[in-house]
Amino acid sequence: MKKKLLEHIISKKNNKEEFAIITNISTGESFIFEKNKNIDKNFEKYSDEINNYLNNKQNGIIENTDIFIDTYLRPIKVIIVGAVHITQYLLDYIKNLNFEIYIIDPRDYFASEKRFPNINIINKWPIEAFEEIKTDSSTALIALTHDPKIDDSALKHALKNKFFYIGALGSKKTHENRCQRLKEAGYKEEEIGSIHAPIGIKLGGKSAPEIALSITAQLVLESNKL
Amino acid sequence: MKNALDEKILEKANLWIKANHKVALVTVIKTWGSSPRQVGSKMIVNEKSEFAGSISGGCVETSVIDECLQLIKDNKPFKKIELKVTNENAWDVGLACGGEITIYLEQIN
Repeated sequence: MKKKLLEHIISKKNNKEEFAIITNISTGESFIFEKNKNIDKNFEKYSDEINNYLNNKQNGIIENTDIFIDTYLRPIKVIIVGAVHITQYLLDYIKNLNFEIYIIDPRDYFASEKRFPNINIINKWPIEAFEEIKTDSSTALIALTHDPKIDDSALKHALKNKFFYIGALGSKKTHENRCQRLKEAGYKEEEIGSIHAPIGIKLGGKSAPEIALSITAQLVLESNKL
Repeated sequence: MKNALDEKILEKANLWIKANHKVALVTVIKTWGSSPRQVGSKMIVNEKSEFAGSISGGCVETSVIDECLQLIKDNKPFKKIELKVTNENAWDVGLACGGEITIYLEQIN
């Protein structure tokens, strides 16, 4: 592989682009493949197969050829509302996974660069913050403030945009009240029922790192269903 | 979720290159049976035998590092290697789990 290609791949990864690296393992030549873009002439006849691999999120050798396809998918967006204590532990776990992570918290003393170095922090109310982040059905929301003033608008945005995972911190009582508010706001029972609350897989622990671990487990479980 | 893990191996390779190391990149391109790591898994090796990443979770890394050092020494651009448990002559350590993998070694230059 050429140094230039390596640098090109890294910049594409940083830009969260979706692409594939195609390598002819009998000649050693490789190039970047992007959907709907011109393909190198030597590989033109494989474009359907390459698209199939990308669409199926798979890597592999095209049958009866020497063409290896290595796909790079856009990471799943994970939006955490609340730059709280649990969030610090949660980041320790999920930063090792291929997620694009954002933290939203209007309280600047919580959402400081010092507390959360090298993370996208949006120091705004969720409604304003979501104007800056493109979200869709492959986005996850983890609401951790358990303050309706902050969490509720984020939950509503996530429900409207059909996020694949919506988790909200809070006791059963807190969640009952939350459900009531969402019901009054016109959300269907089915939609409200899709919120994972109390958040996380039941591990039995109550400390911040244990809750963070249980949220991580649930997030990964739901991500693997995509 | 594919690409669940981003080990930043290519980023590390780039750092090594900027520090004037010679770097071989190893990619798992095919697997059979219960091989431990998926197709696309990567490892890098430099001329000082330093390595990062993993292609088998520890089963065959030692032998592959030797192959990479040879590739760098011979200044060969690439090499394909099939690792089979039964092929004892070629590999003193096999995949304990009974799997087989094909790997692709290439120099970054």
